[in-house]
Amino acid sequence: MRFGRTSKAVGIAAIAAFVLSACAGNTGGTTPTTGTAKQGGTATVVETNAFYSFNPNTADGNNDINSKVSYATHSGFYYIDNKLNVVHNDKFGKYEKVSDNPLTVKYTINEGVKWSDGAPVSAADLLLQWAAFSGYYDDANAEAKTGTSYFSYAGDPAGLALTDFPEIGDNNRSMTLKYSKPYADWEIALAGPSIDVPAHVLAQKAGLKDTQAFIDHLKGMPRGDAKAPKAADAALKTMAEMWNTGFDTKTLPSDSNLFLSNGPYIVKSVSQDQSLTMVRNKDYNWGPTASLDEITVRYIGSAPAQVQALKNGEADIIAPQPSADTLDQLKALSSQGVTVEQGNQLAYDHLDLNYSGPLAEKNVREAFMKTVPRKDIVDKIVKKLDPNAKPLDSQLFVPQQAAYANSASNNGSSAFGDVDIDGAKKLLNGATPEIKIMYNKDNPNRVDAFSLIRESAAKAGFKIVDGGLGASDWGKALGDGTYDATIFGWINPGVGVAGVPQIFRTNNGSNFNKFSDPEADKLMDELIGTTDRGKQDELITQIDKKIWDSAYGLPLFQSIGVDAYSDRITGVKFMPNQTGVWWNFWEWAEK
Amino acid sequence: MSQPTQEDEVLAQQAAHGGTFPASAPEAKGMSQGQIVRKRFFGHTGALVGLAVFIIIFLLAFTSVGWAFIPGWWKYSHLDVSPLVNDGAPTSSLWPLAWGEHPFGQDRIGRDLFAMTMRGAQQSVIIMLIIGAIAGMIGAVVGGLAGYFRGWVEAILMRLTDIIIIIPVLLLAAVVAQMASRRDEGSWFSGFAASNGVLVLGIFLGLVSWVGLARLVRGEFLTLREREFVDAARISGASNARIIFKHILPNAVGVLIVNVTLTMSAAILLETALSYLGVGVKSPDTSLGLLISQNQEAFATRPWLFWFPGLFIVLICLSINFIGDGLRDAFDPRQKKFKARTAVETARHSSTTTALAAEAPKGS
Amino acid sequence: MVTYIVRRLVTAAIILLGASFLVYLLTASSGDPLADLRASSAPNKQALMDARSELLDLDTPAPLRYFKWLGGAAQCLVPFANSCDLGKNITGQPITEALGFALVQTLTLVTGATVLAILIGITLGIITALRQYSALDYGVTFMAFLFFSLPIFWVAVLLKEFGAIGFNDFLRNPEIPLPVSLAVGAIAGLLVAVAAGGDLKRRAITGGSVFAAVTLVLVYFSATLWFRNPGLGPVVIAVAGVGIAFAVTLLAAGLKNRKALQSSLIVVGIGVVAYFAVQPLLAEATALMIVLLAIGTVLIGVGVGYLMGGYDRGQSMRSAGITAFLVGGLVILDRFMQAWPTYFNNSRVRGRPIATIGAGTPNIQGDFWVLSLDTFTHLLLPTVALILVSLASYTRFTRSSMLEIMNMDYIRTARAKGLSERSVVMGHAFRNALIPIATIVAFDIGALIGGAVITETVFSVRGMGFLFLDGIMHIDPNPVMGVFLCVAMTAMVFNLIADLAYSALDPRVRIKA
Repeated sequence: MRFGRTSKAVGIAAIAAFVLSACAGNTGGTTPTTGTAKQGGTATVVETNAFYSFNPNTADGNNDINSKVSYATHSGFYYIDNKLNVVHNDKFGKYEKVSDNPLTVKYTINEGVKWSDGAPVSAADLLLQWAAFSGYYDDANAEAKTGTSYFSYAGDPAGLALTDFPEIGDNNRSMTLKYSKPYADWEIALAGPSIDVPAHVLAQKAGLKDTQAFIDHLKGMPRGDAKAPKAADAALKTMAEMWNTGFDTKTLPSDSNLFLSNGPYIVKSVSQDQSLTMVRNKDYNWGPTASLDEITVRYIGSAPAQVQALKNGEADIIAPQPSADTLDQLKALSSQGVTVEQGNQLAYDHLDLNYSGPLAEKNVREAFMKTVPRKDIVDKIVKKLDPNAKPLDSQLFVPQQAAYANSASNNGSSAFGDVDIDGAKKLLNGATPEIKIMYNKDNPNRVDAFSLIRESAAKAGFKIVDGGLGASDWGKALGDGTYDATIFGWINPGVGVAGVPQIFRTNNGSNFNKFSDPEADKLMDELIGTTDRGKQDELITQIDKKIWDSAYGLPLFQSIGVDAYSDRITGVKFMPNQTGVWWNFWEWAEK
Repeated sequence: MSQPTQEDEVLAQQAAHGGTFPASAPEAKGMSQGQIVRKRFFGHTGALVGLAVFIIIFLLAFTSVGWAFIPGWWKYSHLDVSPLVNDGAPTSSLWPLAWGEHPFGQDRIGRDLFAMTMRGAQQSVIIMLIIGAIAGMIGAVVGGLAGYFRGWVEAILMRLTDIIIIIPVLLLAAVVAQMASRRDEGSWFSGFAASNGVLVLGIFLGLVSWVGLARLVRGEFLTLREREFVDAARISGASNARIIFKHILPNAVGVLIVNVTLTMSAAILLETALSYLGVGVKSPDTSLGLLISQNQEAFATRPWLFWFPGLFIVLICLSINFIGDGLRDAFDPRQKKFKARTAVETARHSSTTTALAAEAPKGS
Repeated sequence: MVTYIVRRLVTAAIILLGASFLVYLLTASSGDPLADLRASSAPNKQALMDARSELLDLDTPAPLRYFKWLGGAAQCLVPFANSCDLGKNITGQPITEALGFALVQTLTLVTGATVLAILIGITLGIITALRQYSALDYGVTFMAFLFFSLPIFWVAVLLKEFGAIGFNDFLRNPEIPLPVSLAVGAIAGLLVAVAAGGDLKRRAITGGSVFAAVTLVLVYFSATLWFRNPGLGPVVIAVAGVGIAFAVTLLAAGLKNRKALQSSLIVVGIGVVAYFAVQPLLAEATALMIVLLAIGTVLIGVGVGYLMGGYDRGQSMRSAGITAFLVGGLVILDRFMQAWPTYFNNSRVRGRPIATIGAGTPNIQGDFWVLSLDTFTHLLLPTVALILVSLASYTRFTRSSMLEIMNMDYIRTARAKGLSERSVVMGHAFRNALIPIATIVAFDIGALIGGAVITETVFSVRGMGFLFLDGIMHIDPNPVMGVFLCVAMTAMVFNLIADLAYSALDPRVRIKA
């Protein structure tokens, strides 16, 4: 998946970006359009991590910075806007659901879309992406140590694994996928969202004549079967190895085939661990047109250093890890024309209660939930960042999603709006259970949340034990039963409903507190095979209620994101998912 | 990077004497070494000021928020969360002189910064003292044994110090931090570390910072064991233990004490650096280093979160350094108060009289 | 001697082997490399964890992994085989490559800072020793300890705020209001008056003249917008050159040595003439050319000194050579200043020359001078920060070493002989005080390779320290081992060199084989 491991981030509904005007009198400059800004110019964007791979889809190359560079230098059938809608790019090509039963999706690339070496972007490139993302040819058996695993893909192959070998047509410009059963996330399954790796370069590397030979070769191979592994196919192995590691580099390769572009920009220079510069791709006309001639990415790790770089004019656009102080510092820069934007991100912190130990009884869980000072936590931790912040009232939706309001008012969360020490005492009936709370000691938000919860829960008679662990240990402890409650974060899965059962279905991988509800399990099974958006929301709302009814724990608050840009630049807009400000890089312009 | 280590300083200084024996001419008649040292130390203005400042900080830190089970006189502890007063800004003011509810301000969830700073200062002082004790002890024993017995004892001990010296402290700290924050059932270490994070860090830093001291002490022993008085003791049948403890150690104690103080001041900074990198003291417990690294982003917006703990680090470090400086001057008989002009004049004058007069030590 | 060296090297190799094993195990056990994935809600969490395990070879126990690593590392010992394999880091980059890059970054960052810290530290140390327990001594001691006590990330933040952002803002309109000029002049004068020795009258005169000079210079700078278009010009070079000639002669030979003074002054004259002659040449400058010019300049100076002769030819050559070098430096400085407006107005720099991060402006283009200025403006802040924190040890060390020497009998004897104070301090005391300093410097160079972890983090320079820290953060032993090898080997070699140099410099110290 392109934007980090956990974000299959296509939202159901909008998350509005709060565009804070820099100061009371200054309302201009926040809603620029590309029409008024001039063409040309340069901008310097700051990123935390250093670029190291031209293929962001591999397990090793899967890093936000690689994805962002790839996003700016490649195009595809769709992109995701900052309201978390899937926006189709018809100038690149079109894709549509041809049939519901069996679920069939047809992708067609427009004529004239080409790589920067002149080769057309064709169905072969789509086929390569499909082969890599579906794991179709893998026949590796981990226990027996037999067979071959070809492509090391970072995302979840579950969806595309349901498809058969696609049908190629329209003079190698279209590809049709047929699913063996309905799959909820079909729209983003062949996710790039762009087409990143040129098949003709890989084919050449494997000694295949052209893309047709590539297609024929793949067609001739059967689906991999872990039970009956075959000898590895040499050509595919060569190509997979190149796909896996051949694009990893910290400097600009001398072979330009390794950084071919089919998007608005093309990488011009890479200065190892310092910066990366992209310039306009001259041929590009199959998508949104970019204004800037050149974008430079610089890598700065610490947030204060980013702010100072912006202040000193060394950076134009930054998106630092926010804290109240960083935000105040940025706001103080409004006098020099810096615009600050902030908004909710898809990540949120939550308190989970184990369905075992002292909290095995529902009454105790409920009593504990009644003592959690959620409003206070929000006030003290996120209010400084976002004055409108409220506690999150749903385990599955975020407030900006349309279905949130309905779900939040019906799921029973209102019972835990305020601290109710008396109610908790009544439920406890004189008992004083000892609760060990596990959290990441190295995350100040969680430490503070823990301090506040301890303070409040103690009033109701709970004996709180500090079970905080260091950054490298708390993850390992998840689900190991050494604690009774835990505070940590999830990233809202958005449309990627595949993430819902992963957390909440009985015995699933990330179900750490052992929540189990047969009815909820059934609903989740149904959800995963539902392609209709409205129906999906309805099912999720029901699941949400089941979770709250069983006193699962409490969602606390969403993370706040911040970005800021100097007065030289217009067109930057906040984005909640991990693409960050890059989502509309083509609208960035110099004033 | 070459963060200044003052052991190096003394190491090389010692080397400067090579095989020559330090001329320990008696300063004045009728004074024991202890008296001389005391007199010299109390004549050193910088050291006195340093000592006074350190004592004040020590008393303030340990009485205000209490220590161990003894309660302090300050109304908050470093863990108490109370409502924000004055939006967290310090309530103290110089004019009119007022202390206020939260003299140093509060952090974002309302913990009292004065209590946290005091707690942090306690922790830093404790770490410092533990390091001083452990490093001094091991350094003296290892260096002393190596220097006195030489041969294979020296070879083994010195190779051991070589190994420890080249293993990066940062890596060791990361491992210890990781072990301390782990909570395996049945592991006595993590159980202990969980409740005594600061103690563990101090012990660990003590265990790695003795190497410089050991080298110095060994150097000192190497020269001292060749001295006539040691030969005399040996001939009169004194045991090795007696020679070491009665004859050599008292002569080497100056070097040891001076360098222990310098190691201690370097240790505070080391703790700060480690906490900054996330492998030092962990919250919810606190230390001065952790406080300023946690609040470094507040530098421009809520400066008090940054300045008060920073001020205490600087004060403790400065005072310890000055105390160490004073001790160095006091213990080192070669370090006389020296004035270029008078030296020139005396020398010139004495050259006209007798050569011996020039040898006479000037009054200090 | 040879036996001694061989023995030391063999022991070093054994220690290295043992320590590297320990470091490997420690790194491998310092955390959980899968930590970030464990708390993930991704449906293919297990697959991701498997991929990471395979990348880091986590299924092999750490001790075995060490020997695998050692097998690759051992190939580095094969000369010219080019088969050195130190493994790859988590981003798939070979460690040998990453190390090469990081080493260059670190060396550019710390070399200048260390050299300057040593020079300034030794100078301050000598001065404070000569004026022990004076106001100057206490002042320097206090400042040195103060900077030593400041956490470096704190120093860095302050420097960025005032040294870079503040100064750049000032450059936008580099006018200094008169009161500010007066105040700065007054402070400078006051400091000099306190620091200067002598009676009240002498102090007042010195302080007063410094006050007047500083204030006038500032007013001049402000009126001519000097900071925008700086330059020295032949006149300033000539005047400063004469000053340098006197100062160098005073220290190196004594003003009584007329021949030495004359050679130095002649060199200054040649320098001013050369100033005009080399301008066209400097327009085409490269780094190599500057080095050659520097060597040539010194040779000319030495030549002049040789021809002038005098009762002590060596002293003349030395003073003239040093003067030539310094005057040459002024000419180069002037040329840099000439390039300043070009750099200042460069479209990438946009009038904010002092940088807060990184090692260079991305994509900057220009001639040698502009590019060098770019490097300089990026190195400025980290260098200052590093100097401030490492100054203390050199100052204090030189001071105590110098004090000790000044109390030695042979110094007394030298004075008794009637030698001038200059030759006592420079000729007898300073040289002997330098011997132990040489040891410290050698130790520090060994440690230098390790990089400055925090400084690199704050200034966003990805050198050895960053590589090391990144390895620890990802529980990835390969980069940690790479950095460790480099640091440990240099440290050991330099310790050996220090010991050897020591016995060479001080015949009393004998190496025990």
